[in-house]
Amino acid sequence: MAKIQLSNISHTYNPLDLNPTYALNPFSMTWENGKRYAILGPSGCGKTTMLNIVSGLVKPSKGNVLFDGNDVTNLITEERNIAQVFQFPVIYNTMTVYDNLAFPLKCRDFSKEKIEERVKSVSDTLRLSSFLNMPARKLTADQKQLISLGRGLVREDVAAVLMDEPLTVIDPDLKFRLRRNLKEINEQYKTTLVYVTHDQNEAMTFADNIIVMDQGEIVQVGLPKDLFERPKTTFVGYFIGSPAMNLFETQLSSNNSVKINDTIIKTSTNLSKLKNNNLKLGIRSEFVKVAKDESENLVEVIIQKIEDFGNFKLLTASMGSLTIKSKVNRETEIPAQNVKLYFPADKCCVYEDNKLV
Amino acid sequence: MEKLYKILKYTFITLWTVFIVAPFLWAVSTSFKDFQSVNSKVTYIPWLDFEPTLEGWRVLVKSPARGGVDIVEPYFNSIFVTCTASLISIVLGTLAAYALSRFTFKAGFVRNNDITFFFISQRIMPPIVLSIPFFIFLSTIGLLDSLLGLVVVYIVLLMPIAVWIMVDFFNRVPKELDETALIDGCNPYQAFYKVVLPNSIPGLIVAGMFCIIFGWIDFFFAFILTFTEVQLLPVKVVALNSSITPWWSLSASALISVAPLIIVAFVVERYLSKGNLSGALK
Repeated sequence: MAKIQLSNISHTYNPLDLNPTYALNPFSMTWENGKRYAILGPSGCGKTTMLNIVSGLVKPSKGNVLFDGNDVTNLITEERNIAQVFQFPVIYNTMTVYDNLAFPLKCRDFSKEKIEERVKSVSDTLRLSSFLNMPARKLTADQKQLISLGRGLVREDVAAVLMDEPLTVIDPDLKFRLRRNLKEINEQYKTTLVYVTHDQNEAMTFADNIIVMDQGEIVQVGLPKDLFERPKTTFVGYFIGSPAMNLFETQLSSNNSVKINDTIIKTSTNLSKLKNNNLKLGIRSEFVKVAKDESENLVEVIIQKIEDFGNFKLLTASMGSLTIKSKVNRETEIPAQNVKLYFPADKCCVYEDNKLV
Repeated sequence: MEKLYKILKYTFITLWTVFIVAPFLWAVSTSFKDFQSVNSKVTYIPWLDFEPTLEGWRVLVKSPARGGVDIVEPYFNSIFVTCTASLISIVLGTLAAYALSRFTFKAGFVRNNDITFFFISQRIMPPIVLSIPFFIFLSTIGLLDSLLGLVVVYIVLLMPIAVWIMVDFFNRVPKELDETALIDGCNPYQAFYKVVLPNSIPGLIVAGMFCIIFGWIDFFFAFILTFTEVQLLPVKVVALNSSITPWWSLSASALISVAPLIIVAFVVERYLSKGNLSGALK
């Protein structure tokens, strides 16, 4: 267990080019001991590169990696004491399940009793106990992934367990249970867990802190609530949440209000320093309501579609060429004509050049 | 329609089997014939058509002094040279292939693929191109007409095959396997021999099989690089021929020349059909 610091890290896979393209642009970050982190972002945004830099499989082009303040940038993977689980199960085909789980401990010369105790504990947690003497290659894909996971968890003293979309091949029911297991393991052993995923629900339910990445940049680090309510960029707003955040081109109207078409929308943000270029207004569909007796921040719309999801209704409405989505309670009455939607001022986010003001 | 397909299938298989097996049966029957049974009229079935004799086989183990051609010593020479050269080629070739598969090499315009091609190109050349250089090389270091010299030459011939097969095999073993081993606490050497190598046994067997086949059947280099001290089986079998072609002992020697390869084929086929070759990694 260790506090992991990444300081001024950047990485390119073609360092000899004159204008190398960077898989990771310079950033610094600290992962506190014993916490759960999720790295979230679309494919090819640099998530895996970041993990490989921490585990030592990739040496960063620039910057340093520190474990508890010690610089480990030049240490090879073997010396870093880190566990990593890959997207697809990697097992040692020629060994039994027991030997697979025991391998990381055997490599580090643990005593036989200790190995037995740890393998038993991990195999119980992952429900692999009844397979211990079977050849690992005979197991199903998700059982194999459990073995990969088990090899990551079998050492108690690891600096961190890094997981690269580990539950992709596992069926949904087991996925849910495993996420809970991982949380329990984290709470019990205080292991730092870093979890890469492109599934926002997985990230939201699993992590204390979410790191959102896009095109080699860290876009936002924060609690699930922050990411949801105050996305720092339009990308985060778009990427997180289902449906994506409503985003409209807008013009500045006054110090605290903007104009969509001809409708004035008040916000709780001070807009006095804006230069009025490339402004966008963003609001989550969860916060857009059907107006009752509100007198301002109202938008007159035509309802295009109402989808019933059982626990909520999703309205798709249009105002001129703009489309607005709103998630409302099942019970909400939706008038047939003259529908007005209400945008609460404190939930309206204004973006200048796609960055939150 | 299905029935027709079945009939055609089995007809084809039967014809093919006859095509493959017939020469062997012919050789077996001929090896038990004497001069009379071969040269008078066409005969097929022992005891009915002709009186079987072991003369063809006896000649092979009798010393020349007693009118035989003793192929026992060349037989063991061939086994020694083939096995030693194959083993060394597999060891060196596997190491080279692993390096070529996992690390990036750059030397001027030369890249990994060029190096792999360089190995294969050794087999593209007609062997005769190499005969004079090999002859001069072995005579310079005093290994002409010796087993060790042949082993050296055969390593040159067999290693490209090992490298070629193993590069392809290692390329299909996911990089994550090595990485997992590193994360689990192996150093790069341990990762290779504790994890990657045991997973590559099917590849090693295929490469080994090809090395043994190509080593065992080589006639050309065995012929030009040996004279009196050392002889290998293919050379000796050819030397059996004389003014009167001894069909019976030629058949017998052909059969025992093929025997080791048939045994290798059976062993390997068994191992491969266990399904160990299929990528069980994902």
